[in-house]
Amino acid sequence: MFRPPGRFVLPLALLVVLAAAPAGAQTPPAVDNATCLGCHTDTSLSIKAGDGTDISLHVPETALAGSVHAKHNCVDCHKAMAEIPHPAAAFVSRRAMSVALTEQCRTCHFANYTKTLDSVHQAAVARGDRMAPLCVDCHGSHDVKKPSTPRTLVSQTCAKCHEGVAGAYARSVHGQDVSNGNPDVPTCVDCHRAHDIAGPHKTEWELRLPEMCGRCHADAAKMKKYGLSNNVLRTYLTDFHGKTASLRRDQGKPVNGAVVARCPECHGVHDIQKTKDPQSRVIKANLLQTCRQCHEGATDNFPGAWLSHYEPGLHKAPLVYAVKVGYSVLIPFMIGGLGLQILLHLWRLRGKA
Amino acid sequence: MRTVTRFSTLERAEHIAVMALFVVLALTGFPQKFYDHRWAQLLTGWLGGVDTARWFHRAAGLAFGALLAAHVLRLVASVVKRTTSFSMVPTRRDFADAVQTIRYYLRLGDAPRFDHFDYRQKFEYWGMLLGSAVVVGTGLALLFPIQTAQWLPGQLIPAAYVAHSQEGLMAFLVVIVWHIYNAHLNPDVFPFDRSIFTGEISEHRLQHEHAIEYERLTQGPGAPASDNPYRRLSWPVQLVVAPIAGSAFAMLLPAIGVGVVLKAAFDALPGRRARRRDSRSPS
Repeated sequence: MFRPPGRFVLPLALLVVLAAAPAGAQTPPAVDNATCLGCHTDTSLSIKAGDGTDISLHVPETALAGSVHAKHNCVDCHKAMAEIPHPAAAFVSRRAMSVALTEQCRTCHFANYTKTLDSVHQAAVARGDRMAPLCVDCHGSHDVKKPSTPRTLVSQTCAKCHEGVAGAYARSVHGQDVSNGNPDVPTCVDCHRAHDIAGPHKTEWELRLPEMCGRCHADAAKMKKYGLSNNVLRTYLTDFHGKTASLRRDQGKPVNGAVVARCPECHGVHDIQKTKDPQSRVIKANLLQTCRQCHEGATDNFPGAWLSHYEPGLHKAPLVYAVKVGYSVLIPFMIGGLGLQILLHLWRLRGKA
Repeated sequence: MRTVTRFSTLERAEHIAVMALFVVLALTGFPQKFYDHRWAQLLTGWLGGVDTARWFHRAAGLAFGALLAAHVLRLVASVVKRTTSFSMVPTRRDFADAVQTIRYYLRLGDAPRFDHFDYRQKFEYWGMLLGSAVVVGTGLALLFPIQTAQWLPGQLIPAAYVAHSQEGLMAFLVVIVWHIYNAHLNPDVFPFDRSIFTGEISEHRLQHEHAIEYERLTQGPGAPASDNPYRRLSWPVQLVVAPIAGSAFAMLLPAIGVGVVLKAAFDALPGRRARRRDSRSPS
């Protein structure tokens, strides 16, 4: 019987690698932190960047103390610095140094690093935008903390750059509730994702939209907690706007850049309010204005064409309900009645032949 | 083979136009109605996307509306000028013919004899006219929602949406079931009734399918004109009564069939049959 030689070689190699992986944290490092801090607690320690500015190399003794990396050693991340004296390193600027050092994160956090490669932030980095965020800009460098504990931390992190939308979010029904400790309401990353953040004006983002809101708003258990209807996604999708969104989505592109009304076109994006809030775009007093964003020249009756996510019934939109019921009786009656006459005719002819 | 002219060039052209537009409207309309079915998505893709499909749907719809308007105007003019024969308008006789035909199917009587248009043709014509009015009217409301809501309640727009979509489905099903049967699959005409394309009908078929008209034609110029009750009315009354009669007939024909069958079944109940026999026999 054929037996491939060395069939245990690969699993064994894997075992060795796996056993070695956590060793970085446990076995004594090439250079211990005390050695590093021996020099780097000096507040005047610095190097000259290519642009003429000084890059401070001072690190406070407690830099890692409160962070999730508290048990790590300096050289786990600053690998090249295990060599003393340090090899020469020349950076154009402090930012250039950060760009170079951020590559270290992927040695442990490979999955999230890979996700960032698809992100709008990485696209900006690739364009050469020095302001584009690196891992450390969101997570911190030495003081890395759990990014969503408490959940309010998420929007505070994004607000460092996205000040305008973060403010609008903070005033929205979602943002207000997240500060009250509500675990259900979305933070920035629940919609935008954390690492593979898509550009909000990109097609793939646009086409993801009704489902994104539906993840929570079509969830019966979650909506029941807040006395909200979980029928909103279904009623949207069966309406003209929703059908357009679905059919355009299948083509994988919004046509001429024109996207049909989806959730945010009416409810707002970051500034979403309760539908009963006087500030809401969809409260009756504001609805006409909201329709007019697309339907220029709409008059007072026009918003009545939208059934506000209700199913037509005797109490809501009775006319639509009557038409619906009327046809669901008429069509089977008409086709059944005509079919009967055809069958009778054929039956009669059969007898004749 | 001798033939008789049945349809004018204009009528034949109208039929071809309706056929072509119907196909375009169905192909571009149903993927929107059944948007969440795979075939609908594939079809929309082949048509070049939902927006292209809608463009064609609206263009064909407007053309269909124009065709309908022209047809109706022609009818109104012919009524006002008193040149129409009202041969397409259902009369009491058509209700009776429908009942008698079903009874013939059930072997309860003889087949009726028909004039220029039989009751099935009248049903289909008026059903078509009524359905067209619904889809064109609701289609316009959907194409111009802002203008519609300027004068009418907003709720009419979603109501028009449901009506347009369902009426389209019903029209499609009636064509598939009734028209395809009567013009193609019916053993009397199989595989294909050419009259509406050639404008002619053979003398043999006329004698068979429109016996009353055939007799009138063969009697020569001295024959009495067919007795049509609508002729005696003044034209404003004709313009109101004829479409009402046509629409009522279009809505009621399926019920007539069901009614006759139910009555025949009821009459055939054993107890009832026995009692009838009793009452007929001399005591």
